[in-house]
Amino acid sequence: MMSRGVICVQGRELCETLVNEAVRLGADEAEVCYTRSRKLEVMFEKNDLQVPKGDHYEGIGIRVIRDSKQGFASTNILSRESLDDTLRCALAIASASPPDLNHWLPEPSKITPVSEIYDQAAEDLELREAVLRGKLLVEAARGFDSRVTVDSAAFGVETGIKFIVNSKGVQAGEDSSYIWCVGMGFARDGEDVSSFDAEYVVSCRLHDIDPQAVGRRLAERVVKSLGAASVPGFKGSVILTPYAGLDLLIEPFVFSINAENVQNGQSQWKGKLGSRVSSPLLSITDDPTLPAQAGSTAFDREGVPTKPLAILERGVLNHYLYNCYTARKDGLESNGHAVGTDQQVPGIGVTNLVVAPGEISFEDMIAGISRGLVVNRYSGSVDPVSGDFSGVVKGGQYIESGKIVRPVKEVMIAGNIYELIRRIIAVSKEVITLGNVSLPYVAIDGCSITGK
Amino acid sequence: MKEVDTLLDLLESVVAGIDEYVEIRYHKRIETIIDARNASLRKVERRTLAGAGVRSLVDGCWGFVSTTDVSREGLASAVREAVQAAKAGAPLRDEKVNLAPASLGTGKFIYYDDQGEPDISQKIEYVLNAEKRMREASALVVGSIVHYLQYEDEKFIVTSDGAAAHIKDNKPSFHVTATVFRDGKRETATKSSGITGGWDDLIKKKALSELVDNAVDVAIKKLDADYAKGGRYTVILDPKLVGILSHEAIGHTVEADFVLSGSIVQGKLGQKVASELVTLVDAGSVDGAAGMVLVDDEGVLSEPTVIIDKGVLESYLHNRESAAIFGTTPHGNARAFTYRDEPIIRMTNTFIMPGESDLEEMISGIDEGFLLIDLAHGGQADSSAEFMFGVSEAYRIENGNLEGLVKGVTISGQAFDVLMSVDAVSSDFQIDTGAGHCGKWQPAKVDGGGPYLRCQVTVGGWHDE
Repeated sequence: MMSRGVICVQGRELCETLVNEAVRLGADEAEVCYTRSRKLEVMFEKNDLQVPKGDHYEGIGIRVIRDSKQGFASTNILSRESLDDTLRCALAIASASPPDLNHWLPEPSKITPVSEIYDQAAEDLELREAVLRGKLLVEAARGFDSRVTVDSAAFGVETGIKFIVNSKGVQAGEDSSYIWCVGMGFARDGEDVSSFDAEYVVSCRLHDIDPQAVGRRLAERVVKSLGAASVPGFKGSVILTPYAGLDLLIEPFVFSINAENVQNGQSQWKGKLGSRVSSPLLSITDDPTLPAQAGSTAFDREGVPTKPLAILERGVLNHYLYNCYTARKDGLESNGHAVGTDQQVPGIGVTNLVVAPGEISFEDMIAGISRGLVVNRYSGSVDPVSGDFSGVVKGGQYIESGKIVRPVKEVMIAGNIYELIRRIIAVSKEVITLGNVSLPYVAIDGCSITGK
Repeated sequence: MKEVDTLLDLLESVVAGIDEYVEIRYHKRIETIIDARNASLRKVERRTLAGAGVRSLVDGCWGFVSTTDVSREGLASAVREAVQAAKAGAPLRDEKVNLAPASLGTGKFIYYDDQGEPDISQKIEYVLNAEKRMREASALVVGSIVHYLQYEDEKFIVTSDGAAAHIKDNKPSFHVTATVFRDGKRETATKSSGITGGWDDLIKKKALSELVDNAVDVAIKKLDADYAKGGRYTVILDPKLVGILSHEAIGHTVEADFVLSGSIVQGKLGQKVASELVTLVDAGSVDGAAGMVLVDDEGVLSEPTVIIDKGVLESYLHNRESAAIFGTTPHGNARAFTYRDEPIIRMTNTFIMPGESDLEEMISGIDEGFLLIDLAHGGQADSSAEFMFGVSEAYRIENGNLEGLVKGVTISGQAFDVLMSVDAVSSDFQIDTGAGHCGKWQPAKVDGGGPYLRCQVTVGGWHDE
């Protein structure tokens, strides 16, 4: 077993050697991304254990720029022969590609480490222990209520190290760990079958993950949707839970702030910097510095330091997300949002998104609605370009005169998300963190609800 | 070939010393992506992803370990870890796993002729030219995407009960999307083509220029098209939609793992589930189809499975584990996408056998209905065989005559009801859905097709106000 110190040196030296080799073979600029990881995953299906799995990975991606032409190739065979072949291939792709003056690699700048994104306890976890933790989720869910079936559950741990080295002097390295615990299931009471639901938690710290709590929350939610009946259609308010908000609010938001989508005209928010695009109740920050949060990192896929960015402030759009290529296209510097693995050309993405909580409690939010629906989960399509969506409400709760009256089923909601976020009437003070997104409950007025 | 023989020998020697069931699958994939859009080369990526997936069965429980370290020492350590994983899991595994006997593959399985593959620069140029052709096809074109994807695979599969197979496979595909704009209206059309074979075979199947022209043509036609009036209609499904229906709506329900978790066909073997005109088959052996598999990832030799025989449900699709539960033999449907994935039950090429009807006569027999061609956007189906698919091209049929294109058409229904309603099956036959992937925890290259089918479906449905 190699110590982490040895791996560090080997990984960085490999990157440096390849960068130098690329320049020697004619690249004007070169970048190498190295990752090494270890993963354990345990799955349960229909309450029974499936295949316990382990994975060891090590690989590199080489990007070269020559005469403003870019080439990329990756390999996870780290033999001399395969590395040479990969480098030659990256150069061959560059020479066959048309020049584009926006290809460039960043200069080095100061990187501040993020705390608690690597947990030695995760590295030391044995598969046997992972199996037992997965079982805890299943038992907790079934122990909560015998009507619950855990359709599937997973417990997994990934620990790894990555390096980005480029010919301009960038040398960035980071250890990280990632632990996830997921349960999916439903409840059945005679002929009555609840809505299918999922519950999960993700963190960089092993002790943040409580499989029993995940199991209990899952059970609680599916049991709550037993006895659902259909309602006639109406126009009213909907409350999106964080689970529904992830699909309906966050997905189109992430799409529309991606500079590539802005530049090719697919984003609704092209030309909208400094303008109001949503209700002033909505503020969203991208924050890579949160301790132990799933998306936290000190630098992006190109080695550019990351920093918190107030993307949407009281409904006003302040920033798009850039990598180096898209930034230069707009005459700007990258704001550290290049994402991707060693096997991919850097794309664009978020780190952690934090939707600012409001001042009202979830309970008071419901009390303020004369007729409406709590959308627990949304299953359907959202076209991020137009914002049109149409889909089924899962585990919905019907609200009348400020109270939850009963669970509902066979209800659909439809509308345009870019219009609806202008009609947000309340944001809760309670926040739930789902992976790399923290978000409150959001109430929206004037939504079309189709029933039976 | 010396090095290659050594690798097979190495895997065999690592497996030889183990008492438990062990399977080692070395899989090297070179994946190439060329993506040109809107007058620029968006990205070119060439990935080599190689390693070994090791599976062990101990006391009725699987253990799986994947590694990039394929030295003798690395493989031996992966085998040890897989055995440990299985042992760790065994006490918690209620339903013990057994393996059905199977015909195992040994020797070489070469799926295509790998001579004459052009180098990457020629492919880039070809894709760039096609993207240019799309922009120049019409002044109405405002968005152009041309995408090439290739999986070049080499595998060595060795099991402790005798499989020792060396596989060479290549699955390329083209995908094009045209967006047109006129008078405030925007329409898009996507066309694609994929096979098992070399670059020349892919172009021979359908030239990229043909896909480009077809996409632009359909997108422009949609600018003038009206929406279809929803309702239940007699329609003709083209071979692509028949392939999608066979795979998505029928095929998944007969995968034995889904059958065991209660899909609609559980307990229905031997029952009539479709019109007697319908015979539905899954066959990995179809030469050149994108779902071509001659030996699966458990080392089992591929053999066609007749799922529905003249309307009667004959068989499910199995891996060795499910075949043992059902007391039958597996036909090579255990597949893994990369070395890091464990083999699970998957389809290969799924299609309906041709019949005897003439397409023209099938059309002339419809008073009011539609001829439906190709899938528009991702469909969905579930284990109850309820489906909803978007249709790329829908042409009205009135009084037996083929009329103009209508847009925004979706079809939905219960797939077995649809097959029950089939009253004509054409003699034309095509397997042509090979561009896509099937997703079931991990992707897989699959293909499908069939003849033209005349049947009853609900048109519009869920997009209707």
